[in-house]
Amino acid sequence: MEIRDIFQYEVGKKSRFSSEFQGLCAQIIIDKEDMAQLKMNGGQNVWLENDVGKVVVTARRTEDESHPGLGFMTNRLWSNQLVRVDGVGCLIPEFKAIKVRVSGSNKGVTKLSELLERMRR
Amino acid sequence: MVSALEIYQLLPTAACKECGYASCMALAVALLRREKKLDDCPPLFDPKYAEKLNKLKELLAPLEQASETGLIIHAEKCFGCGNCVVACPVNVANDPTGSAVGLGPKSDKVILIVENGIVMCPNPDECRRFGPNKILCNACTATCPSKAIEFV
Amino acid sequence: MLCEDIEVALKVGAIEKSKNLCRKGQGHFQALFTERTVPCIEGIETSEEKAIAKAAEILRDADSPLFYGWSNSSLEAQKTGIELAKKLESKIDDTSSFCQGILLERVLKGTLPSCALDDVRNFADVSVFWGSDPSNSHPRHLSRFSYYPRGSKRQKGYDQDRNCVVIDVRKSSTSKLCSNYLRIPPGSDAELIEALLAIQDGKMPRFGEKKRIIELATILKKAEFGVIFPGLGLIYSLTNKMEIFDGFLAKLNAISNYKVIPMGGHYNTRGFNELMLNETGYINQVSFKNGMHHGPENDVINAAKSCDVCVVVGSDPLSALPFETAHSLAKSKLIAIDPRKSLTTEAASVVIPSAMYGLEAGGTAIRMDGLKISFEPIIESDLLSDEELLRRIIEAV
Repeated sequence: MEIRDIFQYEVGKKSRFSSEFQGLCAQIIIDKEDMAQLKMNGGQNVWLENDVGKVVVTARRTEDESHPGLGFMTNRLWSNQLVRVDGVGCLIPEFKAIKVRVSGSNKGVTKLSELLERMRR
Repeated sequence: MVSALEIYQLLPTAACKECGYASCMALAVALLRREKKLDDCPPLFDPKYAEKLNKLKELLAPLEQASETGLIIHAEKCFGCGNCVVACPVNVANDPTGSAVGLGPKSDKVILIVENGIVMCPNPDECRRFGPNKILCNACTATCPSKAIEFV
Repeated sequence: MLCEDIEVALKVGAIEKSKNLCRKGQGHFQALFTERTVPCIEGIETSEEKAIAKAAEILRDADSPLFYGWSNSSLEAQKTGIELAKKLESKIDDTSSFCQGILLERVLKGTLPSCALDDVRNFADVSVFWGSDPSNSHPRHLSRFSYYPRGSKRQKGYDQDRNCVVIDVRKSSTSKLCSNYLRIPPGSDAELIEALLAIQDGKMPRFGEKKRIIELATILKKAEFGVIFPGLGLIYSLTNKMEIFDGFLAKLNAISNYKVIPMGGHYNTRGFNELMLNETGYINQVSFKNGMHHGPENDVINAAKSCDVCVVVGSDPLSALPFETAHSLAKSKLIAIDPRKSLTTEAASVVIPSAMYGLEAGGTAIRMDGLKISFEPIIESDLLSDEELLRRIIEAV
């Protein structure tokens, strides 16, 4: 599910291409129960994939009340790799109902340059 | 915010009374209130407590930024939303056409302002938590969405 | 950007000091100094005149152009853009198309009652943030209007005079400030509405924690002047079933007094919607080919698949839209008019740098509550505004 974050907005205003901005976008906030199932503590990278696409982002543990089964990403390029767009007549993509499979990853976070390249192919 | 217990657990706990207190827990509370400094505990400076001393310095460092009222602002967390500026009862009383109605302060006698995108405290002395008739006002901390404002 | 009490002192390359700017506003002002665009054709720097000429050439040869963006431009630029889209018989759409448009249209047509933000400050005793988190999206919303300030009928302070309600799927920053926070499962807003209406009809709700829902219904019912601020959380939950919300408002207003102010994300989304409504009878998703037509085939999500040229004004759809749409746009000939670099400008065939509104260029915008606000530039710049650039393109095509 996409959310808004003031710090991501501020950093994005200074630089869309900085590693700091990438770090704030390419992350998913996961509940501690889900973290335990993934055998993680937070700060590790995960694959997020569905039949729309896949990306590697950093998993962070939630600091708020629990939300098992639900993950939050700030709205941007990385979350949009996974958002479904149905056929003609669909007005609103499913920005808040993105179903994904989550698994651990040894890879680095998917780079902005790679995502731009995917778009141009 | 660090607690008195966390401070106590890092002290030598020799109960030597060199600090003037009967117990190390009393010293821990005094350190938290900034009524005593780490220098007031000579046994702490024995090399065998070096790691604990460093940890204590780290834990107590934010308190050095606190105003006389005990107010600490964590600038990196602040949204610049102005909730504290508008909710502060002193701001409201001293700035009825500015802070009270949601605008930026027009008076110099306000405690809290937003400058460079984050909250600042130019007049901590005016705060109701300060002085002989102090009260436990928490309007600013209660209205902060990110715990950027804390009291010691 | 539309807050009227901002004070800024600038020095070369940076902000020296600012007052009353929230963190978002501070970021917006700092954006003056970094990652600015330069005129480019196929990634190679050129002159502004050549970039404009190239854009005009591409548009003259286009079969199915699309004009997109608009929410970060002035009313004057939006009007010029609509004129250009008409001249070229192209499609035109904006960011509200997949966002707040579905509610804004209702407000503009009068089917949902609304009010000014100053009315909220002066009169509102219940503010409901439904699927919205203004602490992150509109940081000064609560302090300027909806919860904390005094108003003419709300003199005693927020803790005595106002109720703040948050309905959300998670404990957002705003929910931490409000004593009336109701957490609901994702996608269950329709069921919550049904439960609230059941209580109004004297029946027990069949959703959620009954005690909490009844408490919420009581707060809503007792409002003297209630305002609902719906965000994308509500919109994306109800999507094409927004008539459920219409019905809820109508029934609520039979026993109370509620207005709706959609939480528009960009400073002049409403401006574009109002202009388009006056011009075409629709707020967006219009094609000017062989007359004037409206429909989802003209929204950016669908039009991206068939357009051969897309002019993007002050927006970054390659970042903000789903991959499939971004991919379609990237494969078209993109003409980006933008003051700052973005993924869209990186992929564009032509980049035309523009002045930043409110900083380097003046104009007018319509705030989310319908208030028209004029702004002047605060620094001198050689850059042309969106309006001036679009005028040059009109003259050249």
